[in-house]
Amino acid sequence: MSAFSLACRNLVRQKRRTFLMGAVVAFGFAAVALAGGFIAQSFEGLREGTIRTVGQLQVVDRRAVKGTEDKTLEYGLRDASRARAIASRDPAVSAVLPRIEFVGLAAGGAKSVPYLGIGVDPEPEAAATFARELVVAGSYLPGGGGDGVILGTGLASALQVKTGDSITLMATTPEGSLNAVDAIVQGLVDVQIKELNDRYLACGIGLASRLLQSPETVSKLVVFLKPGADEQKAAERLGRALNAAGYPVAIRLWRELAVFYGQVRLLYIGIFGFVGAVLVVIVILSAAIVMTMAVAERTREIGTLRALGTRPAGILKLFLAEGAALAAAGCVAGLILALLIRAILNATGIILPPPPGATHGMPIHVQFFPLAYAAGFLAMIATMAIASYFPARRASRLSIVEALAHV
Amino acid sequence: MEASDLSRTYRLGASSVPAVKGITLSIARGEFVALQGPSGSGKTTLLNLLGLLDRPDSGTVRVEGRDGKSLSENARSDLRRDRFGFVFQTFNLIPVLSAEENVAYPMVIARVPAAERRDRARRLLESVGLGEKLGVRPDLLSGGQRQRVAIARSLANRPAVVFADEPTANLDSHTAEEILDLMRTINESQGVAFLFATHDPRVVARARRVVLLHDGTIESDVRAEPS
Repeated sequence: MSAFSLACRNLVRQKRRTFLMGAVVAFGFAAVALAGGFIAQSFEGLREGTIRTVGQLQVVDRRAVKGTEDKTLEYGLRDASRARAIASRDPAVSAVLPRIEFVGLAAGGAKSVPYLGIGVDPEPEAAATFARELVVAGSYLPGGGGDGVILGTGLASALQVKTGDSITLMATTPEGSLNAVDAIVQGLVDVQIKELNDRYLACGIGLASRLLQSPETVSKLVVFLKPGADEQKAAERLGRALNAAGYPVAIRLWRELAVFYGQVRLLYIGIFGFVGAVLVVIVILSAAIVMTMAVAERTREIGTLRALGTRPAGILKLFLAEGAALAAAGCVAGLILALLIRAILNATGIILPPPPGATHGMPIHVQFFPLAYAAGFLAMIATMAIASYFPARRASRLSIVEALAHV
Repeated sequence: MEASDLSRTYRLGASSVPAVKGITLSIARGEFVALQGPSGSGKTTLLNLLGLLDRPDSGTVRVEGRDGKSLSENARSDLRRDRFGFVFQTFNLIPVLSAEENVAYPMVIARVPAAERRDRARRLLESVGLGEKLGVRPDLLSGGQRQRVAIARSLANRPAVVFADEPTANLDSHTAEEILDLMRTINESQGVAFLFATHDPRVVARARRVVLLHDGTIESDVRAEPS
């Protein structure tokens, strides 16, 4: 007959109160587990999306870290193919994508519209990023890129062009002269950020080099690593190898580049933390009320136990055990509830509002994150322990004579 | 057990009510003592002080040579557990425990091995005539049966003294007689001292010593002639 067994029997005896308190714990657990899982999934999705956009590492000229270019490719990497080959030799690297970033004017028919251009190596770019998935009309750039360009739907609309139409791209070369090339609209993409969608233009690295008259020079090398590779160590190795080969480069980690990721993460943590705190306070208050009622109703019983020789610590243990048993039972019910709600939510196909900066919502899909469930369990156990402690302490300190006389 | 110059005053709002005033009393092993007196005379207060359930404002209670005042709360708990038994007017059984478990509880907290406490609890219940009610919960027992379970529980750790506060007050006349006879038998056969706080003339009639209290003081302390 342990304190835990006695606690369980008292909980069974007070069925209605136990049910109500268990329901509070179960809902608390389910809320923490589901919300935690959803947030973790959002972070994972955001991280994945960010990495597939900016890569895990970026190799740039050292000057590009501290300042911004006054002219296109002012801080570009020269002899880019050799640098790319050196980077590709690192055992942790899975892909190295050269990119040229430039701005200019695109002209189609009677209108000219400014664009933000990016020159890419189409095949590896499509394999490592979302580039091909974003295409909503036409197709992605072919192998070498040729004369094809991909336009954001907003930019195509402003230019009043569609796939197959010809446009003229104009840009200033690193030397400061104006150059123009003709291109064919290969496809349209929806990049899901409106401002970018209105300016987005992608083309093969060959076309970009021709336009800028700067062969073998790129703005950066975007590096993807093999799964499980240590980003920091890979960055150090790449930096050493490229500097030794005469490239004055700096290696930047994706976290430094993805300011947006960090901000969204902090926002989510803030929201979740606040909601979680409110939830914990509600559970603590409910549990404290229930445990206080239990102590009040069983005052004479406490007096009897003390008279029979139970030490104050024994009474404290008895009520803490009740809190723990209630928390455990509530968590089991909460686990079932969370799994049920998760299955229902995933089956409904509800479309969530677009996350910050995006234009499209996503269907809700709550994944099973064991860590979130473990966090829910720990949160409820801790909450019940706090909520039970003070009524339990009060019970252990009751005057025996007053407790025995309690009506 | 020796009480010396015990005093206890309760505060009711702004006023003070002296319940026990300078009582000196000793209880020897195997006595069967009734504390008698009208309501408010201090019977229950004196019983609580002697049973180490309450602390006196002044005076001392010595149990087998140990001064109750100097003991910690845990030591007082242990002393109650090991040397005292308690029987209450309202039985005060633990509602979620069976008769056997109620009797076993004091042994559980005294860390008596499970087999021994089960055996002892059964024998105690059999000795109070409840050998057939081992697994029954208190709510399914009659008042008399509950009080028998309480008596069995009070004997669980082989106490030196059993304190009984109005043990017959909630029982019908016939059951009260049975319970008192049972206590007297235990007193005689096991040498356990019984100390009653009571109004009941049947208790007084069976007592070998009657301490009459009035306004918190001992008015008389009379020992019956051996029959």
